[in-house]
Amino acid sequence: MDNLTIGILSFPVLLALIFLRVPIGLAMLTCGIGGMWLVLGRWTPILAQLKQLPYDTFSSYSLSIVPLFLLMGQFATRGGLSTALFRAAESWIGHRKGGVAMAAVGACAGFGAICGSSLATAATMGQVALPELKRCGYSDALATGCLAAGGTLGILIPPSIVLVIYAILAEQNIAKLFVAAFIPGILAALGYMAAIAIYVRLRPGSAGAREPSPMAERWQALVAVWPVLLIFVVVIGGIYAGIFTPTEAAAIGAAGTGLVALANGGLDWQGLKEAILATATSTAMIFLIVLGAAVYNSFLGFSRLPQETAGWVTVQGFSPWAVLALILLCYLVFGCIMDSLSMILLTIPIFFPVVAALDFGIGAEETALWFGIVVLVTVEVGLITPPVGMNLFVVNSMADGAPMQATWRGVLPFVATDLARIVLLTAFPAISLVAVRALF
Amino acid sequence: MYDATGAVLHRLSRLLALAGGLVLVALIALTATSIAGRGLIAFGLDAVPGDFELVEAGAAFAVFSFMPWCQLNRGHMTVDIFAGLFGRRLNAAIDLASALLLTAVTGLLAWRHMLGMLDRRAYEEVSFILQLPLWWFYAASLAGLVLFVATSLFSVWQAARALPAAFGAAR
Repeated sequence: MDNLTIGILSFPVLLALIFLRVPIGLAMLTCGIGGMWLVLGRWTPILAQLKQLPYDTFSSYSLSIVPLFLLMGQFATRGGLSTALFRAAESWIGHRKGGVAMAAVGACAGFGAICGSSLATAATMGQVALPELKRCGYSDALATGCLAAGGTLGILIPPSIVLVIYAILAEQNIAKLFVAAFIPGILAALGYMAAIAIYVRLRPGSAGAREPSPMAERWQALVAVWPVLLIFVVVIGGIYAGIFTPTEAAAIGAAGTGLVALANGGLDWQGLKEAILATATSTAMIFLIVLGAAVYNSFLGFSRLPQETAGWVTVQGFSPWAVLALILLCYLVFGCIMDSLSMILLTIPIFFPVVAALDFGIGAEETALWFGIVVLVTVEVGLITPPVGMNLFVVNSMADGAPMQATWRGVLPFVATDLARIVLLTAFPAISLVAVRALF
Repeated sequence: MYDATGAVLHRLSRLLALAGGLVLVALIALTATSIAGRGLIAFGLDAVPGDFELVEAGAAFAVFSFMPWCQLNRGHMTVDIFAGLFGRRLNAAIDLASALLLTAVTGLLAWRHMLGMLDRRAYEEVSFILQLPLWWFYAASLAGLVLFVATSLFSVWQAARALPAAFGAAR
């Protein structure tokens, strides 16, 4: 068996392990270690590599941004910033038709600006907005659907942990990727609001009415969100202006949200312990997958599968757009059963060289940035596609008595706007690139 | 015996995770100080020397220390949608096999990491700026890996205990 065959055959083995409920990171580690042994014919190289690979991976300066961003999100949750955002959005647009649901989406977008994780955004905003949506007579389907979808804004709007991982894998500038993600993130929020507006007109019974808030209250609520704006500007602006590295920015952001939480009384010793333990679980989950992918991808590199695939696709003379469409379709299908981070870690080392070798009429760097955004948007759909979209479970578990089927039904209009947005962003790279071109 | 072991492991993992988290908080303070110092160069201050390598070492310690806690809480990402097709016996058997695999791999990682630590010590490798011995950092991280092996072994025990019930019920 030649090395290429071993590389190809490792996929079904890996998938079989994953479908047998072996933790994804462990499955990748197993296949990577086993595959390395098959390709190189002895144990010595992989055993030597394992002496330092885990430490080198976990001590990578660019990856240390991940636990810091996660801790920042935890502090933001405890600081009452989610409540402030929702109150402000609700007081301005809550009285419109479907307005409370739109306010929930808007608040998710705001929270996404200081939180890099979708699950945390969905969980935090769910806690704040679900009781209010229920009180105002919104149906379970609409309430849970809009929050599950809104949660994905946590990762679409920078800072974003998935983008950080993509930047490392594709060796791209994180600041440029964050800037590129900004307009697509806003588009996502607007798309979700449009979906709500259409939904409540087609099903008038799904949303109740709410009294408009007095002007004084609106301004007061808006002023209360200044910490969010300040933290966002310092973190993203600081990275963009080169004042500090992305990792330093994450530390400053965590310090900022931590101080807000401290001031609001959400961060006593008990609160700090809970924030740390929640951060610990998500950090360890991500890094086991990162380590598994590091070993597995190093094996794939030895099997020469990524290089051969890229070469083969180029020689075939396929249309670049057809190849891209096929890749995105893969992400949509696998997104129904796998999480976004595992997919990116598994596939970018293979797909990125393929896409980089194709000509889309824009430069190599712009192709890389644009591909990153399109992939990000596509894999995030997986978080809200039934039956196993994680956000659906998170939000549904917080809504007392809402049947899972209602959430599945309620999220469909949002999935539809996601698909429309993928087509839009793919067909017009300029949407993702215009901000980068203007600012860099 | 089983419950007592579980309680001890739970306590240790929680303590180690909290230690890792406190290190993260310390890194945040360190980075903030460093940036402030860098901004005040005009006043004779400067960045904290070696801040980058301290962040790297601290983050590595935190990540290794988080592993056992995550595993004990079944926090590692799995794909569960096919579990319903397998039936109770097969699922119990898969759980055991998966726990054994986890123990084998974490055992391998801990063993190799320890040898890596001994290498660093033998070659007297030091960090770039602060000249701290690298094997110190490896040693700190080893705690997380050793406890990870222990919680993996415990999950084997857990899965083995669940086997008779799964097979008995199906009979």
